[in-house]
Amino acid sequence: MDTDFAVVELTVNGIGHRVGVEPRRLLVDVLREDLGLTGTNVGCGQGVCGSCTVLVDGASARSCLMLAVQAHGADVVTVEGMATAAGVHPVQQAFLDAQAQQCGFCTPGFLATTVELLDRNAKPSEAEIRAALAGNTCRCTGYQHIVDAVVRASEAAS
Amino acid sequence: MKPAPFRYQRTTTVDETVAALAGGRARVLAGGQSLVAELCARTTSAEVLVDIAGVTELDHVAVDADVVRIGALRRIAALEDDAELAAALPALVECAGRIAHPAVRNRGTIGGNVAHADPASAVPPVLLAHDGEVVLTGPGGARVLAADAFFTGLRTTACGPDELVTELRFRRPGPRGGAAFHEVSRRARGWGLAGACAVVELDEGGRIAELRIGLLGLAPTAVRAERAEGAAVGRAPEAEAIAALAADAVADLDDIPGDVHASPALRRSLGRVAVRRALAEAVRRAEGS
Amino acid sequence: MTTTTGPTTGHSTAWVGADLPRKEDPALVRGSIAYVDDLRLPGLLHAAVLRSPHAHARIVAIDTTAAKALPGVHAVLTGPESLEVIGPLARFCAEEVVEHAIAVEKVRYFGEAVAVVAAESRYIAEDALALITVEYAPLPVVADAEAGMAEGAALVHENLGSNVVYQHAFTFGDVDAEFAAADRVVRRELRWPRATAAPLETNGAVVRFDAASGRMDVWSNTNLLNFGAWVMSATLGVAPHMLNFHPLSVGGSFGSKHFLAKQIGIAGALAKVTGRPVKFMEDRADNLLASDAQAPDRAHVAELALDADGTFRSLRIKVVDDYGAYFLLAIAGNTNPLSQIVGPYRIGSVTYDVTAVLTNKNQQGVLRGAGSDVTNWVLERLVDAAADELGVDPVELRQRNLIPPDAFPYKIPTGNFYDSGDYPAVLARALELADLDRWRAEQERARAEGRYIGIGVACAQQRSTYYASEFWFHNIGAPAPFTTTAESVRMRIGPTGGITATLFAPFWGNSQETVTAQLIAAELGVDPAEVAIDLAPTMHGLPSAGPGGSRMTVMLSGAVAGASKKLKDKIFEIAAHQLEASLDDLELRDGVVSVQGTDASMSLADIGMAAYWQKASLPDGMESGLEASFTYDPPFFTLPNADRTDLGAFYPIVGHGCHVVVVEVDPETGQVEFLKYVAVHDHGTVVNPRSLEGQVRGGIAQGIGVALYERVAYDAEGRNLTASYDEYLLPGAPDVPRVEVAFLQTPSPWTAHGVKGGGEGGRMIAPPAVTRAVEDALAPFGARIDELPIAMETIVGLCAPS
Repeated sequence: MDTDFAVVELTVNGIGHRVGVEPRRLLVDVLREDLGLTGTNVGCGQGVCGSCTVLVDGASARSCLMLAVQAHGADVVTVEGMATAAGVHPVQQAFLDAQAQQCGFCTPGFLATTVELLDRNAKPSEAEIRAALAGNTCRCTGYQHIVDAVVRASEAAS
Repeated sequence: MKPAPFRYQRTTTVDETVAALAGGRARVLAGGQSLVAELCARTTSAEVLVDIAGVTELDHVAVDADVVRIGALRRIAALEDDAELAAALPALVECAGRIAHPAVRNRGTIGGNVAHADPASAVPPVLLAHDGEVVLTGPGGARVLAADAFFTGLRTTACGPDELVTELRFRRPGPRGGAAFHEVSRRARGWGLAGACAVVELDEGGRIAELRIGLLGLAPTAVRAERAEGAAVGRAPEAEAIAALAADAVADLDDIPGDVHASPALRRSLGRVAVRRALAEAVRRAEGS
Repeated sequence: MTTTTGPTTGHSTAWVGADLPRKEDPALVRGSIAYVDDLRLPGLLHAAVLRSPHAHARIVAIDTTAAKALPGVHAVLTGPESLEVIGPLARFCAEEVVEHAIAVEKVRYFGEAVAVVAAESRYIAEDALALITVEYAPLPVVADAEAGMAEGAALVHENLGSNVVYQHAFTFGDVDAEFAAADRVVRRELRWPRATAAPLETNGAVVRFDAASGRMDVWSNTNLLNFGAWVMSATLGVAPHMLNFHPLSVGGSFGSKHFLAKQIGIAGALAKVTGRPVKFMEDRADNLLASDAQAPDRAHVAELALDADGTFRSLRIKVVDDYGAYFLLAIAGNTNPLSQIVGPYRIGSVTYDVTAVLTNKNQQGVLRGAGSDVTNWVLERLVDAAADELGVDPVELRQRNLIPPDAFPYKIPTGNFYDSGDYPAVLARALELADLDRWRAEQERARAEGRYIGIGVACAQQRSTYYASEFWFHNIGAPAPFTTTAESVRMRIGPTGGITATLFAPFWGNSQETVTAQLIAAELGVDPAEVAIDLAPTMHGLPSAGPGGSRMTVMLSGAVAGASKKLKDKIFEIAAHQLEASLDDLELRDGVVSVQGTDASMSLADIGMAAYWQKASLPDGMESGLEASFTYDPPFFTLPNADRTDLGAFYPIVGHGCHVVVVEVDPETGQVEFLKYVAVHDHGTVVNPRSLEGQVRGGIAQGIGVALYERVAYDAEGRNLTASYDEYLLPGAPDVPRVEVAFLQTPSPWTAHGVKGGGEGGRMIAPPAVTRAVEDALAPFGARIDELPIAMETIVGLCAPS
C-alpha cells in the first residue's frame, strides 16, 4: 500500500539510524539536515556536478538524485566516514599530498568517486582516471592535482 | 529544486507492481536518475511512485545463441562489467559505458533508459539496430512489441500508464556480423548530440547482406535509417561505400532537434560522422569475426 | 630583511617560496569545513523565490493568499511589500538605475524575483511558490545590445530615457595622427560571449534580526564584510554599527560573490517580517538565472596601426557591451582593461570607446579577469591578424614589440604603470618548454596525413591589486567617491609564544591562511605550524577589501609586514630591557631573540610571558600585551586627472604570462583535443608556488571553458536557455589538459617581498592562445576565428567538403 510517510532504516558511516521522512525527501537532505553530516554538498540538485556523490553499498551514487526511501537498508558512506581514529583514509591523504583542493566544495564528491574507481581498477591510466572523474565538476583546480592525487593513491595502495 | 509531495510504495514482484499501477495514478521508480531529476526540477509530477528496486525477477541477463534477454531492472553499470554480454552485444556494452557517469550508471537501469526515451538516450538506437523487442506487462499479461513500434514520440512510448517494461530483447549479430556504437558529444563526455548504432551482416563474399542502423539525437525519438539500410544490401563495405551510406542515413531526416548545443544542421553533420564511424567499426568487427 | 642598523631578523627556512602544504586542506578533505548552507540556527526558516517567466513585463497583480495559507509557511512578500522592511539595493553607478531585491512594478529579466517565501523547509517554500499567481502584462523585449540601441526600442528603465546608459571614448595620445601615419591598419570585428562564474557553491545568506536590540547578524558568502558591508545598511534598514557580518568559507567565487546585497536583502526582509532567522540559498537555477554575476558581452571593432616592419604604433577599440537590466558596478569591467590595454607591447597611443547598453538580461558583475581578459583576447587577435596579413611569424612579431626589461617601471598611455617584468624572457622560456620546432614539424607531418594540428602563442598581462578609482573614474570630472582598498591583519603573540593572526576576508578557495602563516613565519622567524589563523566578524573588523582582483597575497604581505614590524619593535624593546643589550646587538632568529656573540637569549615564549604576566619586567610605561594590527593600503597609487586623459596609477602591480598551446582539431566534428599546454607566468615573488600553480591551472580551465564551451544564451524573447549545468557547460576532467607551469620571478619594486597577484592570470591568458591554436590548425581551410566560444558548427562548416 502506498504511504505519505516512511520510516527509513539505514547505516551511515557505520552507525544505524531510523529516520521518519516524507517520500519526497532527498537522501542528501536527510544526510545533511537530519543526520548533521554537512560534508556532502549540493552543487546543482540535478545529478550533473557530482558534488553530492556518496557511496551507497559500496557504489557511488548522486545523493541529490536519490530519495531517502530508496536508501532503506543501505550502507552509506559519506566523507565524514572516510577517516578513522587512526587517521585519514589513504585517498584523503593522497588528496592532501597532491594539494587537490582549493575551495573544497567538490572534494567530498571526488573522494567518493575515487574510492570507487580504485576499488574497481587498481591501476587506472590517466585517461581512465579523467574519464571516470568526468562526472565530477571542479571549477577551481583545472583537475590536474586531482588526477595526480588519484595516481598517488593508486601507487600507495600497491 | 525539491520535489512536490507524492505517495510511495515498494513492490517485490511484477504482479504487485502491475496491481499498483492500476488506475493510472502511479509511476514507476527504478533507478530514478531521470525521474528524480525531473521531479526535483518540477518539470514532471507524480501522485504515487512505485519503487521496483526490489523486483529481483527483473534483474537478469540471459545470453542465448541468437537472442539476449535483459531484465528491465538491470543496472547500466552491471551491463558495462559483463564480459559475456560484451562478447554477445559489444555495441550495447559500448553504449552503456557512454551513459552519463559512474554514479548514474550504478543506479540507472536499462529499462529506465528505454522507457525515458529521450531523443539522446543511448540504449534505444542500440535496441532498434539489434531488431529489438520490448516486453510490456500489464493487467492483461505480457505483450511483446517490436522496438520500432515502441518509440512513438518525444519522450513518449507505447507503454501504457498501467504497464511496466519488464524485458528488452536484442538479436545477436550473426557469425559474419558486427555491431558498434558511436556518439558525438559537445565535450569529451556528456549527452550525445548525435549518435548511431550499426549492426551489419556480411555474406560469404564479404558484401553487406543486412544492415540496421539506429540513430539518436536526430529525431524526437530514436529512429532507423531505412534509406541507408536499403541501399546497403549487396554492396562491398569499403570506405567510399560506407561514407555514401552514412550520407544516406541522415539525408531524409526532417525533424532534427535543435537547441543551444547544436542546430539541426550541425546534428545532421555529426550524425553522418557517427554513422560512418559506427558502421566502419561494425564492418571491421564483422570481418574480424 | 637585514638592515645596517637596529635589530635583525633571520630564519633558517625560506618560508616565502616554500610549497607549504595548505593549512586549509585538512578540513576540506574531511568535509568539516562550514559553508553557509551548513549553518544550523534554532528556528531557522528557509526561503524560496518565485521568478518571472517574462524578460520584460509589468506586474499587474500578485495573489499570495493561497501560498500564505499553506501549512509551514511563515511569510510571503512581494516587491512592494518588501519595501516596508528593506530598501532598494545600493549601487556603484552614478546613473539612476534603480534595483530592488524583489521586483517592484515591472520585471526586467527572465528569472527576476517577483515574490519570496519563508517556510519551515525549502520543500514547503517551493510548494508555496506554486500557489502564487501573478498576472503580467508583457512588454517588448530588448533582447540584446543592438536591439537596445535601436530607434524606438522599449526602455528597460523608463526614467533613463535611453538604454544606452554610458558612452565615452577614452583617448590617450594622438591616436588619429598615429593611424594616419601608419603603414598599415589591421582591423577585426571580434565577439566575446556572455559567460558566468557558476562556482559549485551558489550564493546564499542566513540573516537573523533581533528586533529588541536592532542588531542584524548576517552569515553569507559575500565578500563585502569588512569593506563595504555598511553599504547594505540602507537596503537592510539597519544602522551600520548594528550590522554584523560573519566571515565564512566559500565554495568558489571568481568574482561572483563580491556583493550579494540582493540575496542578503531577501533573507533580511523575511527575517524581519517573521522574527526568525532565515536562510536563502540559491539553487543552481536561481544562480544561473539571477545571481547578477554575468560577465562581459561584447562586440568590438578593433584596429591596430603598425608599420611595414611590424612595429606597433596605435590601437583603437570600439566596444558595445550588453550590461543586462541593471548597472551595479557601472562600467568597472571596461575601466579595468585600461590598466593594461596595450598589453605587453610598446604602443604609444590608444582609444577605448565604450558604449554600455541595458537589456532584458540578468546583469553583469565581475568575473575573473574583470574585463581585462576580454581585451587581452582582442589585442592578441589583432597581433595574430597582423602577423597573418604581414606574412610574418606571430612569435617574431611579438618579440619585436615587447616592452624591454630595462624600461620598468613603465608608464602606459592611459597613465597606469607596469611595475616590473621581463617579457622576452618569459616568452623565450615558454617556447623552450613547449619545444615549438618539434610541434611545427609534427604539424606538417599531420597535415600530410589529413590531420589538423595547430599552435597558438599568447603574451598577455595580468594586473593585480586593484585600487578604488577603476570604479568611478569613468565619471569624467566627478570627485572621487571612495579611494580606499585596504587589507588588515591583527597579530597576537600569546603568553606562551603562540601566534594568532586574525584576517577579515572570507576564504574563497585561495590560500589566505597558508600564505599568511608563511608570511608571518618569514617576518618573525617562526614555523608556520605555530601560527593559528582566525577570521573576525565585522563588529570586530578592520578594513578589508577581501579577495578579488588578484590582490590578497600582495595585500597580506604588506599587512603582515606592517603588523610584524610593530610587534618586533615591542619584542626587541622587551628583550633589550631584560637582556640589558642595545637594539643593534639583537637578532630574532627561528623564534628566539639573542644578543649577538653571547648566549643571552629570550624565546618568543619568554617574551610573551613577560608581556602578559610580568609587567614588572617590562620597560617603564610599556603597555602589557603583545598584539598589533596593521591596515595596509595599496603601495603605489595616484588619482586620475579631471578630464581622464591620465588615469593615474590604479593597478600598477602587473604580472605577465605566455601560453603556448598545441591542439588537434577534428574537422568532422569540431572537437578540440589538447596535445600540449605550457604556461610561463611572472607574478613577482611567489609565496607558495604549489598553491599559485593550482590557481593558474584552474584559471586556464576556465579560459578553455570560455574559448570552447561557455556561453549564457538568451533567445529572442529574452528567455535564458542555459539555466542548468546541462546547458551551461563547464569543462570536465577529460576536457582540460595537463598544463606545464613555470614561474619567472621579477619582483615588484613596490610590494612587500616583491609579491604580485596571480589568481586571475590563467583565465586571462588562455583564451587567445587556445583561439589561435584552433585557428592555426584550420589554416588550410582559411580559418579566421573572431568569436567565442568556438562553435563546433563553425569548424564543421568551415571544413565541410563543398
